[in-house]
Amino acid sequence: MTARPLVTPSDDSAPASPGPSDAELLRATAAGSEPAFAELRSRYERAVARVCRTVAGSEYEDCEQEVFVRIWGKAALFDPERGSAATWLLTLARRTALNVRARQRPHAPLADEADGAVERDEVEAFWLDAALARLSDRERLVLELAYRGDLSESAIAKRLRVPLGSVKSWKRRGLNRLATLLGEEAP
Amino acid sequence: MTHEEALQRLPDLLDDRDDPALLGHVRGCADCQRQLFLLGRVDRMLRVGAPMRQRRPLARVLAAAGGVAAAAAAMLAFLLLPQASRGQEFMLRTSAGRPVGHALMTHSDKRNDSLALSARGLPIDRDHVFVLWAGDDRTSMEVGRFMVDRFGGCRVHFNLPATHAWRRFWVTKPGNEAAVVAST
Repeated sequence: MTARPLVTPSDDSAPASPGPSDAELLRATAAGSEPAFAELRSRYERAVARVCRTVAGSEYEDCEQEVFVRIWGKAALFDPERGSAATWLLTLARRTALNVRARQRPHAPLADEADGAVERDEVEAFWLDAALARLSDRERLVLELAYRGDLSESAIAKRLRVPLGSVKSWKRRGLNRLATLLGEEAP
Repeated sequence: MTHEEALQRLPDLLDDRDDPALLGHVRGCADCQRQLFLLGRVDRMLRVGAPMRQRRPLARVLAAAGGVAAAAAAMLAFLLLPQASRGQEFMLRTSAGRPVGHALMTHSDKRNDSLALSARGLPIDRDHVFVLWAGDDRTSMEVGRFMVDRFGGCRVHFNLPATHAWRRFWVTKPGNEAAVVAST
């Protein structure tokens, strides 16, 4: 049996356009654009899910729903002068998750998390989750294997059964795209 | 090397792949320096919480690019402190002359000056806390303490009394005022 590549040539299609920034999507959402809201949701659903799982525990599914309902209802309150879109979204997600958790365990102390304040590292991790979702599958996969899997480029090529040059190219492109998005969004 | 080729290959500088032609281009290209700065931030974000092989820190990348370090530090200040032209700027350097931070002082109101400090690559050992000092021609005062991340980086704001013409700033370790880590 011949080993088949795990990443197919069709994955070599041109990378997806960066599209509108998160701030632009929030503004459009505030104006009632459902496509903009859907795009925002697709970018941030993984990041929001992570916050909800971490903070709200077993009620994470309700939490995720509630976060996006709130984003839809409150998008007009986003003020880019006061911070990045990622910071606003993370703060809203954290506060919602804390509310959900408080409903579950009304007497549990919330300590210093009560105001949903977020740290810079948290914002960056939240933004990164969403930005990774904007890469092509192969770019994201290569970066995840390189950084989270701690694999060398050669090891990634071997695992994916693709040429080393392809791995180098996807990694470069993924990193460059993330850097460009970072320049646009500045979380 | 064309600019497009250089831009595409910039991520190689995050790994141990010194390429004289690429570094030569980056030295004279502001766009590439900005992208390299952003790549360094992305690389750091990806590394946070991930089990990683030892990677070359961005500071070494910039050192390899020679004059790029100063330009990148200026770019850092530009990105973090876009209102720089409205205030008084100070560059913090180690005793060896390595730029590790940038301070911008602006006048808040009649009584207060505001100091925005951004640093990167402050030397850290056991703890990550530093003390910022300010001085004028006659006196000095402790401005405050701040904490850096594991890369010696931070962005902090302080208030200073506007009753003095603060001209000098320096950073020490807590409890050892003589141990100056960096100064303007």
